[in-house]
Amino acid sequence: MEDDIEVDPRPASARRTLMRNGAARQVAVNFMPSRQLTCNTLRIRRNNSEHNALLDDVMDAAAAGSGAGDKVDAADRQADIIVREMEQHQRLMEDSPDAEELRREALRELPEGLTMKRHVRAKLSASVSLRSKRRPLSCTKRLKYRLSFAWKRTKDRLRDMIFSIELWYEAIRNIEGHFGSAVGSYFYLVRWMFALNVALATMLVAFVVVPQALHDRHMNTTLSDHRGFLDFIGGTGWLEDSLLFYGHYHHDDTSPGRLRYHMPFAYFFTLLCVYLVMFAVLCYRTAYSYRRNFIETAGGLSHVFASKVFCGWDFGIVSHHAAALTANSIYNEFKELLSEQYKKKSSRGWCARAGRLARDALVWAALLALLGAVLYGLWLLLGLTTTIHHYHLLVSAAITAVLTVCPLVFHLAAKLESYSSRTVLYVTLGRTWLLDAATLVLLLVYWARSNEQCWETRFGQEAYRLVLMDAVISLVVLPIVEFVRALVYKLNPNTSPPEFNIAYNSLTLIYNQTVVWFGMVFAPLVVVAVVVKLLVLFYVKRECAMRACQPARKVWRAAQTQTVLYMLITLSLFVALFSLGTTFLGSESRCGAFSSYSSVVGVLTVGALRLHEREAARRVLAFLLRPGFIAFLLLFLSVSVYYVRARARAQASVVRILRRMLLLQAKDKDFLLDAIAKVSNGEWLYSPKAAHEEGPDSHTWKYLREVRKPSNSGFHLEGPRANHSLLEGRPRSYAKDSRPTSRYKEGTARDDGDTDSSFSWQGSAHGVNQ
Amino acid sequence: MGQGKSQFSEDELQDYEDLTYFTKKEVLYAHQKFKALAPEKVGHNKNAKLPMAKILQYPELRVNPFRDRICKVFSSSNDGDCTFEDFLDMMSVFSEMAPKAVKAEHAFRIFDFDGDDMIGVSDLREVIERLCGPDHKLTDSEIQQLVQNVLEEADLDDDGALSFAEFEHIIDKSSDFCHSFRIRL
Repeated sequence: MEDDIEVDPRPASARRTLMRNGAARQVAVNFMPSRQLTCNTLRIRRNNSEHNALLDDVMDAAAAGSGAGDKVDAADRQADIIVREMEQHQRLMEDSPDAEELRREALRELPEGLTMKRHVRAKLSASVSLRSKRRPLSCTKRLKYRLSFAWKRTKDRLRDMIFSIELWYEAIRNIEGHFGSAVGSYFYLVRWMFALNVALATMLVAFVVVPQALHDRHMNTTLSDHRGFLDFIGGTGWLEDSLLFYGHYHHDDTSPGRLRYHMPFAYFFTLLCVYLVMFAVLCYRTAYSYRRNFIETAGGLSHVFASKVFCGWDFGIVSHHAAALTANSIYNEFKELLSEQYKKKSSRGWCARAGRLARDALVWAALLALLGAVLYGLWLLLGLTTTIHHYHLLVSAAITAVLTVCPLVFHLAAKLESYSSRTVLYVTLGRTWLLDAATLVLLLVYWARSNEQCWETRFGQEAYRLVLMDAVISLVVLPIVEFVRALVYKLNPNTSPPEFNIAYNSLTLIYNQTVVWFGMVFAPLVVVAVVVKLLVLFYVKRECAMRACQPARKVWRAAQTQTVLYMLITLSLFVALFSLGTTFLGSESRCGAFSSYSSVVGVLTVGALRLHEREAARRVLAFLLRPGFIAFLLLFLSVSVYYVRARARAQASVVRILRRMLLLQAKDKDFLLDAIAKVSNGEWLYSPKAAHEEGPDSHTWKYLREVRKPSNSGFHLEGPRANHSLLEGRPRSYAKDSRPTSRYKEGTARDDGDTDSSFSWQGSAHGVNQ
Repeated sequence: MGQGKSQFSEDELQDYEDLTYFTKKEVLYAHQKFKALAPEKVGHNKNAKLPMAKILQYPELRVNPFRDRICKVFSSSNDGDCTFEDFLDMMSVFSEMAPKAVKAEHAFRIFDFDGDDMIGVSDLREVIERLCGPDHKLTDSEIQQLVQNVLEEADLDDDGALSFAEFEHIIDKSSDFCHSFRIRL
């Protein structure tokens, strides 16, 4: 560790010469074929800033000559350079809307101020109109252009509108400012689920609930007058035969007379559409998020330290308190990373590893046993015959209590295991989700197997109760707990302050949504209840966060966790669809909208498609549903998945090879460019050994340059040897350690035959230097 | 946003919409925020140049460890003083709509303290020191170790400094960059 870091002790004049060297080098780079690709906007940008370095040089020279640099002129010239650069890209310069859009994009991406962008744009459009050959447009093309313009215009207007109606914008921004973007992402999740449920509720209310309500009014059905509170909570009594539950919905045309509204069709197809649309939306969202946060960032090296350093600070933070905490947590993380690195060096024995594995296995076994026990207990509890009044309320309360407490148990259990903190989070999330989904599947199976007259309504009631109780828990109980903890912390600052637990809060959201996926079929109005709940939840949680909670001490990496949360929501929808398909779809419904058909799926086969009248269609459908065909389909899917996976692997290995090549090529290029720069400056004869061992800003290089001024040309002739002796003569650490991570090996220098001294780049370098 | 509207013509707004990642409404909203920094001055001249100290009163910038660098990078006069257009440019780059490559470009300039178009050892040290804040100081050898680790991970061509391509490579592989390098309007 004794090697000191070089902090650029060069005087300004030396730096300037070096810059000029850099400029010559840059010219060489810009002449390389790889830099002349067509329409690679990224390259445009980099080239521009590299040109700026050149331009600075030019401007320096101009300033030295005329005394005062003409600023406007300089800006003009700079714009010229940028435009010239852009003109090389054919596709960018076409006179068509696509190219115009490309130009707009390229302009936005320019790393320059707005004034410069405007300059460039004016010049660019002049140049485009100069080049364009005015030809009359064909009709189809004109239509295409007009359409694309209209589309763009609408998109812009839509974005404008969305910005002005964006819900809770300032509120979430405020929270992000105080707690960082991780807590903000929880509130975005709340908002997103709120929007999702609003969409769900609108569709269900519009197509299912309202027609039924009109029908009820027409038939003058009135609810019983006895309205008890317990009945309200339990969804029993007067609520049982109401719009809330499946059993109430009419099984035939609802409006007599001219307007026909076939309720079974409406019920079936609305729900089908809702489920399919939601499935598509969720799959897309999850896949998008997965691609962005897992696939695109994966592959090969992981930059643990580099991404901590460059992505560590959350730029959205506004409060001093949060900033201090963030700085603190980054400091701790650096320390942890360093100590981990030292720890890794001391390898652990297999004994310890086996012990760890055994402990993990034990915890897993215990938790699975707990899960099984909870589910079995629930099953027994449901089957119990008692005389207690409103027994079902107690059961629901028990379920809610279990689902609230178990995540905490999982959380504690995860502390016993030896996972990394990120894995702990995922494992806890996964376990809790498993518990939630299993409980709901169990409830569904229990009621489907019971001999109730209308088990669908029973399950609907169950879902309704769970939503209500969960609302009580998350809107009343948890906030009270948090406020009490905050109070305790205020009175006694030695205790730990309550932090905003993103994982736990997100999980309750997912549980909530899982209940909706399951219960929506049997109790359409549950969705409306959830919408109201989410609306209130947002404000309650905001108050909780702002008044009671402290920003977290640990940095929470939001992006990947967000993906996992989306995945869990999608997965619960999938489980819900699967279990509904197996229990409900094929069953005979004795009440509600589908009671006029022999089975629920009969709505589709008998009602809508009229398969009993169409023999051919029935045969096709029967063929499609045969086990053989489905097995073939599955086989085909597996083969294609295997194929895609194999391709992905092959590509990953190619990426590895390419990366290695990139490394080698970068080294080669560096080496050659150094040589070129030195030769073109004409200061000394080329010596491969020195160039290879030392970069342009190393001590040796500078030292050599000092010695080899043209005045001391005596050294010139015996370059290699002098250079060598200089290296030998100096302390080893000084000569070698100027580069902290030097991985160069000695003795890899090529022999002198590689390059001959007639090699020259001087012409072009000089051309640009002036 | 009524009084904001009177300061800009429709053409100007269209111009800003073309050159930045904002819509017209967002441009007006940004101007409101800019105006809040110095109401009288901006009220007279909508594109007034505010000194760096004034710009740094913007909440997100106030606590940012790289605040002076951000101002300098976006200032058209290179001294940290920002006009409204510079401010708009800044917000546009930090906005959600800006692609990763643009953000990376500006992040690179922000982290490149000495302006030599490379993030060298001294730049990395400075970044790490600023990140840890004024209250906590890592020892010299710890920083040294960190810098070495960063370079080992990211310095592909082994020249002891990160070029833009190498820096962009890190950013490309980091899922958190877009989340962290963002200031909401």
